[in-house]
Amino acid sequence: MMGVPLAWYLILAAALFCVGLYGVLSRRNAIATVMGVELMLNAVNVNLLAFWRYTEPGGMTGQAFATFVYAVAAAEVAVGLALIVAIYRNRDTVDLDQINLLKW
Amino acid sequence: MEFIRDHLLTLILFTPLVGAALVTLLPKKEEKLIKWVAFLISLIPLALSIVAWSQFRPAAAGFQFEEQVQWFPQIGSSYHLGVDGISLTMVLLTTFLTPLALLISFSIDKEVRTYFALFLLLEMGMLGVFVSLDLILFFLFWEFGLVPMYFLINIWGSANRQYASFKFFIYTMAGSLGLLLAIQVIGVVAGTAVPGQVAVFDIPQLLSFWPAFRGSLFGLPIGVVKTIGFWAFAIAFSIKVPVWPFHTWLPDAHTEAPTAGSMLLAGVLLKLGAYGFLRLVLPLFPAQAAQFSGVFAALGLAAAVIGGLAALGQDDFKRLVAYSSVGHMGFVVLGIAVAARSLGGGVDPQDAVLATNGAVLQMFNHGITAAAMFALVGMVYERAHTRDLGAFGGLGVVVPAYGGVLLFCTMASLGLPGLNGFVSEFMVFRGTWPVFTLVTALATLGLILTAAYLLWTIQKVLLGPLNPRWQGMREINFREVVVMVPLMALMFLIGVWPSWLINLFNATVMRLLG
Amino acid sequence: MTIHTLLPILTALIPLPPFFSFLLIVLFFNRWKRVSHSIAIGAMFISFLMAQVVFWSVIGMGGHALAEHPIHVEIPWLPAGATALTMGVLVDPLGAFTLFFVSITCLCIFLYSVGYMSEGGRHYDPRYSRFFAYISLFATGMLGLTVADNMLMLFIFWEIMGLCSYLLIGFWWEKNYPDPRQITPRQAGLKAFMTTRVGDVIMLLGIAYLYTATGTLSFRQVLNESTLHHLASMASVIPGLSAAALIGLLLFGGTVGKSAQFPLHVWLPDAMEGPTPVSAMIHAATMVSAGVYMAVRMFPLLQVGFDAHHGQLSAPMVAMAVIGTFSAFMAATIAVAQNDIKKVLAYSTISQLAYMVAALGIGAYVAAAFHLVTHAFFKALLFLGSGSVIVGSHHEQDMMKMGGLLKRMPITAITFIIGGLALSGFPILTAGFWSKDEILAAAWSSNQVVFWVLAIGALLTAFYTSRQICLTFLGEPRSDHAAHAHEVSWTVYVPLIVLAVFAAGFGFIGVPEHFPVIGPLINNNLFHHFVGATIGELLPHGEEGFNAVPLLISVLFALTGLVGGWLVYGRRPLAAGQPDPMVRALGPLYPVLKNKYYVDEFYNAVLIQPTIRLARAVYQWVDRGLIDGILHGVAKGSFQAARGNRWFDKTVINGGVDAFVAFFQRLAREARLVLQTGQVQHYLLQVLFFVCAFAALYVILWLRQLGG
Repeated sequence: MMGVPLAWYLILAAALFCVGLYGVLSRRNAIATVMGVELMLNAVNVNLLAFWRYTEPGGMTGQAFATFVYAVAAAEVAVGLALIVAIYRNRDTVDLDQINLLKW
Repeated sequence: MEFIRDHLLTLILFTPLVGAALVTLLPKKEEKLIKWVAFLISLIPLALSIVAWSQFRPAAAGFQFEEQVQWFPQIGSSYHLGVDGISLTMVLLTTFLTPLALLISFSIDKEVRTYFALFLLLEMGMLGVFVSLDLILFFLFWEFGLVPMYFLINIWGSANRQYASFKFFIYTMAGSLGLLLAIQVIGVVAGTAVPGQVAVFDIPQLLSFWPAFRGSLFGLPIGVVKTIGFWAFAIAFSIKVPVWPFHTWLPDAHTEAPTAGSMLLAGVLLKLGAYGFLRLVLPLFPAQAAQFSGVFAALGLAAAVIGGLAALGQDDFKRLVAYSSVGHMGFVVLGIAVAARSLGGGVDPQDAVLATNGAVLQMFNHGITAAAMFALVGMVYERAHTRDLGAFGGLGVVVPAYGGVLLFCTMASLGLPGLNGFVSEFMVFRGTWPVFTLVTALATLGLILTAAYLLWTIQKVLLGPLNPRWQGMREINFREVVVMVPLMALMFLIGVWPSWLINLFNATVMRLLG
Repeated sequence: MTIHTLLPILTALIPLPPFFSFLLIVLFFNRWKRVSHSIAIGAMFISFLMAQVVFWSVIGMGGHALAEHPIHVEIPWLPAGATALTMGVLVDPLGAFTLFFVSITCLCIFLYSVGYMSEGGRHYDPRYSRFFAYISLFATGMLGLTVADNMLMLFIFWEIMGLCSYLLIGFWWEKNYPDPRQITPRQAGLKAFMTTRVGDVIMLLGIAYLYTATGTLSFRQVLNESTLHHLASMASVIPGLSAAALIGLLLFGGTVGKSAQFPLHVWLPDAMEGPTPVSAMIHAATMVSAGVYMAVRMFPLLQVGFDAHHGQLSAPMVAMAVIGTFSAFMAATIAVAQNDIKKVLAYSTISQLAYMVAALGIGAYVAAAFHLVTHAFFKALLFLGSGSVIVGSHHEQDMMKMGGLLKRMPITAITFIIGGLALSGFPILTAGFWSKDEILAAAWSSNQVVFWVLAIGALLTAFYTSRQICLTFLGEPRSDHAAHAHEVSWTVYVPLIVLAVFAAGFGFIGVPEHFPVIGPLINNNLFHHFVGATIGELLPHGEEGFNAVPLLISVLFALTGLVGGWLVYGRRPLAAGQPDPMVRALGPLYPVLKNKYYVDEFYNAVLIQPTIRLARAVYQWVDRGLIDGILHGVAKGSFQAARGNRWFDKTVINGGVDAFVAFFQRLAREARLVLQTGQVQHYLLQVLFFVCAFAALYVILWLRQLGG
């Protein structure tokens, strides 16, 4: 595995992150937005693990941090989807363009 | 006794204040009590000033009965009182006239308590100017006296009182602005000469420091600064005296004021201005005073003649008496002009002393005479409710005693020899003739005009067939006689034997003129 | 204590009793008529006694001794720096004689007033007591003036007399006349005061100047050789006049006013509105004499520069000669056309005073003083006589309505005739002759113009006097009042008799030594030597001896006038309603004379009305219009400035701040509308924007730190 430079993993992570970010920002469907958030979180995980593997393979920090991240991701997805269901029940839609009450 | 002797001036000065406070505490409904308390309290400063007079040594130099207490060291101002011959004369005049004015005021029926309290405050204001030896204190009392007088005119005055009181207050205060600024300049500059002091406002110290001061200020040469200072002082005092043409507040204020207010306005307040000239302007700015003395002589002449003409053209009795005050003060201004000119040299000391003595005596005499005339006008106004000269006629038939008193006081006002007015006018004439000959010759027109309008007034009021409208006019009553008798007695005494009064300030005047 | 140490004190006391009488009457006894007149006459009598004591004591001293050492005492009065002006009393020869005649005439008139003001006890004037109070004050004034030792004291009493004159002329101040142009007593009083005031202020200037130039006003100190010399050499403000000359002219101004000389003569005829005792005392014997008295006293000053030998007069003397001569003639012409018995006498007084003034003008000092004394006697007599006529004929004053009073009021008539003869200068037997003749004799040797004018004046004087006597006393009564005339009371005619004695006999103490027959008989021109000693060496030595020519001319003119008057009015006395022959004889001149040359009208039009109009104009246009206009303008300007300031505050400052704030508020609102969409994704985009921005900032700073 030492033949693959660190940079390539980082670029992969960055690319994944940007895709996810684009998805969050541009998708009309709320669930697709959540999917984008998942992608961003996983991109972060890739980043973390790459750094762990290439700088301090013996340590625990990277692994622990990554575990933490996708635990939170899971919880967050659950809450997010619950919110979306609640909104659907209220508004009959999951089109984010029509959910604009968060203002004064 | 020791206490009284050591604090004589403070007692004279603040007794009216205590009196005013006392009066304010009395119940509003007890009008008689208020009047008597106020009157009796006003006799105390009179008694004290007579004591001061008896203890006074005219020949001694400097100020007597001095009191000095730390007051405002941060700005170099102290509570400094003292009198010399001239100020003692004025103090006597003030404390003498105030009880008489209060006695005349017994017929006031509106807001009695406030009236009498204000009157006592007014007395304090006037006394303060005469006894203070500190410029800030002087200015304080100068301005203070305006306030009670404003209210006296405004509340108890005649038909046009709002206008008159406002004009009086604003006009006088406007003049005082320059005075205040000039005081500041002098004080601060004097302070630079004394180490450790921010400013010096003590009059005796300033009298020795300021005339000799030669440095330049604000980049201007000292001559210019002193000239500006001179005019700042002079304008303020000129408005008060009043020097023609700054006199137009006087007819309105005097006419609209209540009787006692007019008595004190004409009797004392006008003298504040003349006193200011003698105490401050001449000693502080001798060179400028000498330089501009001709202007003041001409203005004194203008007051005597033009004021006399204006009086001749009057139909209102009270306004006529007011204009006669303008004329009489014109003679004071003439005397002061001679004194001013003498400070620049070239004047025989005898002439200057006579003219200045005449001016000071005229100040006192006019106080007495004007107070008497206004009291008499007030008496007739109370009975007739008109001041229109054309409405009277033949009053000598129904009120002969009043007529006799009016004739007597008119003769004093006219300057009939044997009464007080003549002595001072003669002295001024004698003193002015060698210095301002043409002015003196023209001032005789003033004498002729005075005789004309006063006698014409007598004719319109007292003589002729009785106008049936006044058939039931009440004769002069006891209280009014008590007011007039001291005034008439003084008019006669000073006219026949003036030296007892002149000796009071003769030495001071001689020292003033150097 | 000898009489001589007592004399100064006595002299100082002379003016006091009448003053106390005045005070007592005014303050206490006004209501009691008899008490009042008793106090007044008693006081006057005391003064009279004291004056006579003084006079007779000094007469024995002889003129020169008295002049050298007059009775004199003084006290400091007015502090003037290191020195003081003094007041005091002085009796020198001139003063002694003046005291003599003043005390006698005043006492006579006081007594007379009892009868006059009460009409013989029948009808008391309502203000009877006050009359006595006023004349007492007046007597104080005249006596005080006579004993005064300095100019200021003289002036003080001078003015006091002026006051009394004003009060007494206007004594009946409610009186109105149907004709509005006829002057009422109160107006006459005002006129008298104002006219003499003009003269008085001029005199006051003279006094001030004198005091300035010499440092004193005391007669003894001013009227001596060295002081006068000093004044003569001092230049005055008027080029060409020495200080002495200017002072003299100014002082003479007082005389012109008080002694009713042209042009200040207009008050005296109108002063006749006052009660007759007033006219007699004040306007004939004493107050108007005071003007001449002052001039006589100050003569040494007035004549500075006078050179008798070369006939050169000093400036004041020129003024006196001109004004005196002119007034004498003018007044005499007016008197011819007057019908009121008192007005004739008034103009006669002006004329006679003018004689005295003219006499001084040509340097005849003693003659002037002599005529002063004799005139006081006979003029007072004439006035009192006219008063007796007026009251006796129930207040008739028009001579055209009189007549036949010789039979009905014999004492009055005879005494009046004696007085009239004295006035006309009837030779030898009347005092007036001696004094007037002395003036004319002096005029003859000094200035012919003056002589002839005065002589013609004497002719006119005799004429109008004769006219007056004939119209009043001769013939038949021309009205009911005259028909029922009668003597009033003894208090009225006894003074007349006393004065008549003096009018006839007083002249004999002034007979010139060179006069034929009578001169050597008396052989002592007492008056001349005594009074002349007052000025000592200054007395002009113009008397070269007796000259018959002026004497004869004056006698001729006097008799011509008297006879002429009798021929016109006495030989065929006028009947009631018959017009005065003078009206036709004088033709167009008559109205001019009757209206006193229209001088009053002139003064009114040129001086009085314009002054009143000017006075009103000054008040309206100067004080209220100009000065107050400026003040009101300043006030309005200040208010406008204040309002402008308020506007600036409200609109500019306040408004500016408001606009500024509003701008940002609008900006924020716009931003909010744009940014706050409610959509979470947009908010996330904003978060992303700021994260990137801060990251960039961080990187830049990190790079900078690396670089720097």
